Amino acid sequence: MAGKSGRSINNIPESPIKKLIFGWEGILILVFVGVNIFCKWFSEYYNMFNLLRQMPVYLAEVFLMLVMAFILVMGEIDISVGSTVCLAATLACIISNAGAPFPLVILATLAVGTCCGLVNAFILTRFPELPPMIVTLSTQIIFRGIAEIVLGSGGSVSVANTAGFKAISGKIGSVPYILFLVVLLAVVAGIILGRSTFGRKVYAIGTNRLAARYSGVAVEKIRFIIYTLMGTAAGLCALFMVASSYGANTTTGTGFEMDAIAMAVFGGISSTGGKGNMIGGFISAFIIVCLRIGLGQRNVNGQVILLIIGVLLIAAVALPNIFGSLRKAVKK
Amino acid sequence: MKLKKLTGSREFLLFIIVIAMFAIVSIINPAFFSFKAVTDMLRNNAVTLVMALGMLGVMLVGGIDISITSTLALSGMAIGMLLKYGHIQSTLLCFLITMGIGTVCGALVGLLISRAGVPPIIASMGFMYIYRAMGYLISHGGEWASAAALGSFKNFGTDKLLGLSKVIWVIIACYVIFFIVMKWTRIGRQVYAVGSNAEAAEVSGIKVKNIKLMVHTVMGLLAGLAGSLQVAVYASAMPNMAQGGEMDVIAACVIGGVSMSGGRGSVVGALLGALIMAMIPKALPLLHIDALWQNMIKGVMILAVVVINVILQRIANRNALARREM
Amino acid sequence: MPESQYVLELKGITKIFPGVKALNRVQFQLRPGEVHALMGENGAGKSTFIKVITGVHKAEEGEMYLYGQKVDFKGPRDAQAAGIAAVYQHATSYPDLTVAENIFMGHEIIKHGIIQWRAMNEEANKLLKRMNADFSATAEMGTLSVAEQQIVEIAKALSTNAKIIILDEPTASLTKRESEELYRIVDQLREEGVSVIFISHRFEDMYRLASRVTVFRDSQYIGTYNVDEITNADLIKAMVGREISDLFPKPEVKIGKEMLKVEGLSRTGFFKDASFTVHAGEILGFTGLVGAGRTEVIESVCGITKPDAGRVYLEGKEIHVRKPKDAMDLGIVLLPEDRQKEGLLMSWGLGRNVTLPIMGKYAKGGLNDEKKEREISKQLLEDVDTKAVDIFQPASSLSGGNQQKVVVAKALGQEMKVVIMDEPTKGVDVGAKAEIYSIMGDLAKQGYAIILISSEMPEILGMADRIVVMCNGRITGVLDRGEATQEKILDLAMEKGSTTKGGAA
Repeated sequence: MAGKSGRSINNIPESPIKKLIFGWEGILILVFVGVNIFCKWFSEYYNMFNLLRQMPVYLAEVFLMLVMAFILVMGEIDISVGSTVCLAATLACIISNAGAPFPLVILATLAVGTCCGLVNAFILTRFPELPPMIVTLSTQIIFRGIAEIVLGSGGSVSVANTAGFKAISGKIGSVPYILFLVVLLAVVAGIILGRSTFGRKVYAIGTNRLAARYSGVAVEKIRFIIYTLMGTAAGLCALFMVASSYGANTTTGTGFEMDAIAMAVFGGISSTGGKGNMIGGFISAFIIVCLRIGLGQRNVNGQVILLIIGVLLIAAVALPNIFGSLRKAVKK
Repeated sequence: MKLKKLTGSREFLLFIIVIAMFAIVSIINPAFFSFKAVTDMLRNNAVTLVMALGMLGVMLVGGIDISITSTLALSGMAIGMLLKYGHIQSTLLCFLITMGIGTVCGALVGLLISRAGVPPIIASMGFMYIYRAMGYLISHGGEWASAAALGSFKNFGTDKLLGLSKVIWVIIACYVIFFIVMKWTRIGRQVYAVGSNAEAAEVSGIKVKNIKLMVHTVMGLLAGLAGSLQVAVYASAMPNMAQGGEMDVIAACVIGGVSMSGGRGSVVGALLGALIMAMIPKALPLLHIDALWQNMIKGVMILAVVVINVILQRIANRNALARREM
Repeated sequence: MPESQYVLELKGITKIFPGVKALNRVQFQLRPGEVHALMGENGAGKSTFIKVITGVHKAEEGEMYLYGQKVDFKGPRDAQAAGIAAVYQHATSYPDLTVAENIFMGHEIIKHGIIQWRAMNEEANKLLKRMNADFSATAEMGTLSVAEQQIVEIAKALSTNAKIIILDEPTASLTKRESEELYRIVDQLREEGVSVIFISHRFEDMYRLASRVTVFRDSQYIGTYNVDEITNADLIKAMVGREISDLFPKPEVKIGKEMLKVEGLSRTGFFKDASFTVHAGEILGFTGLVGAGRTEVIESVCGITKPDAGRVYLEGKEIHVRKPKDAMDLGIVLLPEDRQKEGLLMSWGLGRNVTLPIMGKYAKGGLNDEKKEREISKQLLEDVDTKAVDIFQPASSLSGGNQQKVVVAKALGQEMKVVIMDEPTKGVDVGAKAEIYSIMGDLAKQGYAIILISSEMPEILGMADRIVVMCNGRITGVLDRGEATQEKILDLAMEKGSTTKGGAA
């Protein structure tokens, strides 16, 4: 090729482990250890056995975080998932009560969630100029609205035949199935986001949508897939929600979207897009789960736990920015 | 020319919708066509109406604030407890306290957004948790302040001034002040400027960060005011009041034509949007639709409004292109 | 001006950004009522210098004198109050607000704290009339054309009673006729006694308007010259620091078979009935005024937008491109016009940028092969001689010219048949331009079919084998290299007969 200067460009990367340890993930691991030490000190019941026993309810929300991470990396948001959980849980109970065999209940619940996701996906890709916040705000109201209609004036439903739901909340030894499932799906999601070409394209969309499109990334196709999967994850979450309470009501899943977003954002996944990874999200999810269990064991009000999560969340997003601008100011 | 501009505007379209809704409901059920029914509706929706103004400001600079109903609950709970345990009696003082608390709450959100560069949705989400929890904490973990505990303060919700509920006077005052400020003062236009092009605003000497801080502070102030109104109108204070109501406020603004990306929207639009949101639950029972359907219809309506808006915009663009001669 | 012969004088200005000296002891003098051109390559420090004058940046060293008085601006408002107004390169307007509001933003007409809309609209209309603008002060800014917005920006400067107006590349996105209109306005300003500082890349602007020219190079002051005394060559030498010989290394290539053929392509409102062919080894120039529809035609061919009618053939076979990926899979590769928005992901490392379109080809089971990615991207970036330290540095850390080379590297990684370069040298300094032309020549030699979209006449005349000229959405002529002249191209590019501007305004 043209006029070579023979310049050589370095292509040896820094050690990724070093990057993780000295990055946000390293801090998160420290926080995780700190939270566990604190909980151990705070509650005499805080031990492995109780942790595993109490975990399933909280783990259901981690499913949501796994897909929410993709949406946030794209620089978008889905605040309809809590309502999707409600609708899927409601229908799961009703289908089960109608006498459907349990495998069918599972399929139907996932299908309901997926359909809700499809609605979002369809609207958002058909009208890409609409902000996801508004579209999912309206579907948030609609999905829960449908659940309200289905549930009728009573506002709740319980499962008559709990056998199937009992089965999925079973354990191997003292480890609940759901933990295996969460870890498995987190690994899969982490590999897809961090290592696959699909994940790379998701980052490209979140960094610069237009440039991604010019580079041959099928932006709308990817958005469609992710929003649909978000619904599927909500269906999965709904299944385990029902398994933990054998019923559903109009407030099932309220605020789950915010919890999922908080987990991801605390894990370093920027809501402005293009930044963060699944490792951070996963560690932060477990920080929040452990904190909830530990504080809950000493009957600390759920609201106080939310307060702590709120403070952690704000600290997590504000501190890097504040330090960044301080560093700049010092340099000046 | 001027008339055409008026009739082509979004506000005019919304106005027609409001009138049409009102007319249809009144024809089916004449009971709705009464002064009392209308004032009751306004009174019951005072909180959304007032907060829609603050949300207008926030959305005009391209932001969003979902902490507002937590602020409302915190400030409302504060006076609820103060009244219950007899620390204060004065109604005016109650208003000042809630507005003070709200202002501080809003300013904190605004500082986080404008100074620490945190995205508005995340910043306000964090404070949504925090303020709501603080409301619980000051209620000693879930105590209520019932009508009896509120003393004379609850009369504000029912008292009248010149034949009109005091609550409605508050709404009117807020809207008049906002209308003037947004349209005829420099600070109001600066809010539009920041939302329309923040970079340009910075270059022309507008302190963008301060404007962002200001709109969130005003939002907090109004959320605090709404705290007083909520406690007065419903004659009770509880820590979980108005939970989820922030979505109604955002929805009112969106229906009223306030753009999520900033720079577009008006006080009149926010008012009409909030009125439409207020009329839906009123209209449904009169139309013999079960109240259970309320939320779904609301949601579908918001979705329809934004989707139709996009479609109309696309048609307008296509027509403009077709007219271009080659 | 009793104390000084200059309205504005700057001495020994130094501005340091973290890691770079953006200005190194530069000086500048502006006489009353003169139009003074400020020239230099990209990154020479012109824009930073302007921002120092207007108070946006604060210089670390140096003094600034206004009418002989030393001044020290704390912010843009101080400069505005002192009668200095700037019209920036990218329109700094508020699309959602009216023209009048745009003009008066920051200095609204206010009485008792209340904005006087009527007075403001009247005043704005007066200013617009002074500039022969044919739109009203109550029009929404976002509905105006770029040229009209430019006029509003100037009106904004005038409304502050500015005595010094700075125009930062005002003609960059204007058509020929709109530029003429701007020249007229600048002439008028000069007659009214306003001093104008004019930044431009176009020599044409300088010759037409300026009486003196100051050149910056590499953050330093090179010199100030009288425009009628300095030759083109000397000026280039001052700007570049060396003479550019053989800027256009057009190789003699045997034109091969027909590669791409476009027939009757139309898209409502953008272009109509576009037909052209390009052969292997051929460089097909696409020119015309900005807004003539060149980029739009090409973007439809590449699947960025959807045409309403027409057929496209690749190597004789009809193809149906629905999205950019289809075109890329077929070997039609576009190097987009806007590097920072369309071409690259500025915060990403160079390596990832280069491999984004091709990573699927060497992926294993959907997983990215990062080792291979590093090898391939290093090779590609070295092939185009990118001035970079490693493949992990963000694209934003490179100069415009080197960013363009990364865009080229990104294209080279793909299996190309047809290469389309949209304004490949826009905003690129003269040195890097030569390198990009030489790459283009090499590509032609290797038998690729090349389409070069450009507004720069010398570039089109120097590089293209055939030149397609567009005007107002239609192809008005195709010229061979031998017969093409500047005049012929301009003739085809200008709207002949119909002088109506169309409904866009």
